[in-house]
Amino acid sequence: MTTVHVDRAWGEKVGGQVLVMREGFSPRYDLNRVTGVISRIGHSAEGESIKGKILVIPTAKGGVAGGWAFFDLLHKGIAPLALVFGKLNPVMVQGAVLANMTITEGWSQDLVRLLKTGDTITLDPARKEIVF
Amino acid sequence: MNIMELTQEEQAMFDGDKGRAVQEAIRFQVEVGKFFNAKRFVPIVNAHVMGDIEVMGDGGLEMMRQIADEGAKCVVPSTSNARCMHFSDEPRLQPDKAEEDKERELVMHLRRMDISTTDTCINYQTVYQPKLGEHVAWGDTGTVIYANSVFGARSNFEAGKSSFAAALTGRTPAYGFHLDEVRRGNIVVNVSATLSDLADWGALSKIVGHPNQDYYAVPVFQGIDTTPPPDALKHLGASLASYGSMAMFHMVGVTPEAATLEAALGGNEPRQTMTVTDDDLQGIYDGYSFVDARKNIVVFSGPQQSLFEMQRLAHLFEGRKVAGNMTVVVTTNHSVYSDAKRLGYVDTLEQAGVVLLQGVCFYILQRLSDIRAENEWANLVSNSAKIVNTITAHRFNTVLRRTADCVDVACTGELK
Repeated sequence: MTTVHVDRAWGEKVGGQVLVMREGFSPRYDLNRVTGVISRIGHSAEGESIKGKILVIPTAKGGVAGGWAFFDLLHKGIAPLALVFGKLNPVMVQGAVLANMTITEGWSQDLVRLLKTGDTITLDPARKEIVF
Repeated sequence: MNIMELTQEEQAMFDGDKGRAVQEAIRFQVEVGKFFNAKRFVPIVNAHVMGDIEVMGDGGLEMMRQIADEGAKCVVPSTSNARCMHFSDEPRLQPDKAEEDKERELVMHLRRMDISTTDTCINYQTVYQPKLGEHVAWGDTGTVIYANSVFGARSNFEAGKSSFAAALTGRTPAYGFHLDEVRRGNIVVNVSATLSDLADWGALSKIVGHPNQDYYAVPVFQGIDTTPPPDALKHLGASLASYGSMAMFHMVGVTPEAATLEAALGGNEPRQTMTVTDDDLQGIYDGYSFVDARKNIVVFSGPQQSLFEMQRLAHLFEGRKVAGNMTVVVTTNHSVYSDAKRLGYVDTLEQAGVVLLQGVCFYILQRLSDIRAENEWANLVSNSAKIVNTITAHRFNTVLRRTADCVDVACTGELK
């Protein structure tokens, strides 16, 4: 069992499968928000659905769309379960809080290297830990 | 978990003494503030809200309906960002009818909340220019980086409900770029490249922003030997925010917190020093290539065009015609459009076959993926480094070109 510590965290304890991205992510730049599928040509997760997944993302991209987008995805039934960022911007936190979606920032080990899409992890914001 | 220190007035809001909408707003702000370890709120003097039906959806609309129905009002002057619909008859760019009805309802609710629906992403050029040190809550990245950098005002990206909450409570959590220590430069960029077109400024930002995606990266530009006009700083900032998720830059001798390099760094040891040359700039343009396609589009948008950009486009298009296989779209806000109409720029552009849209930004248009497919557009050419980055979820092949080159592509149809 591996435990990775995070710098900041918000939300409830959750567990689930991860979708690992190798570059930055923005709901506006990279996601078809009608289908919930990554649509940016050449994105490392192109063609993957975010629905019900814990997204592991090294950096947040610019853009304010995330402030509403996660809430909208929730209403459409295609929201991710949680967001695990290496680095984020406030947009992602504002969007996650509005959608009541667990979110973390900063990791003690490189999760992009340690995890692969489909792996199962548990996020514990109170303990600032990710376990898998 | 950190607990923010609340004043008596803030505690009253938190307890619901000022109504449910204000209570939910400040409770939301406290949760966001906790994440960033904010200790307190700072009062704001202006809010700029981002919300349209394309991005907020039915859930967001219902939230706005509830806030307006309760009679909640903004307590600081507040404006709205660019919308996702233009409400015109242009057949090539039509939204879903049902969504159009929702967007109209949404605009009504914003007005009931005392939001001036300016529908602009260039509020800093046309509506409100905050002073040095003034705290604001702006909900569009391009507006935020301009406020922080060019005016020396203080704002974070205030997305989604965040800017609305700030408008209702008149304050925002004190974290990020409200704090002195976050505003200090930490990347030095020596610029030897000649920046002759707005696209060059955006390309410069791609070079700096793309490899350094970090909200807390603050580049300090030096060596720029011209006085950049506001439109240049607009494209520089919008592109930095887009590629780098950055919210502030300094420019030595130009921006108010950068009288010298030392002042801009504020004691920071730069984490990186880079140099940008003419070859680097050319490399950005060379990195884009066209796909073979019969129908294509040229877009001047993202951010909306200022009056001077409209003037320049009118000069470039005067006496020319958009080629038959091309579509050209220009977006601006209502106030610039009104002046541009009075000054003859709109007529010149329309005579050339350009489509002008008011109060929208192209890349946020509702059902844009479908619009692209219906019009069979493959290449999207623009002088905005931002828009060639932000629009990619809709699967355009994007190409950055200088302004005059974009006009040539538009009028000849030759992809070069």
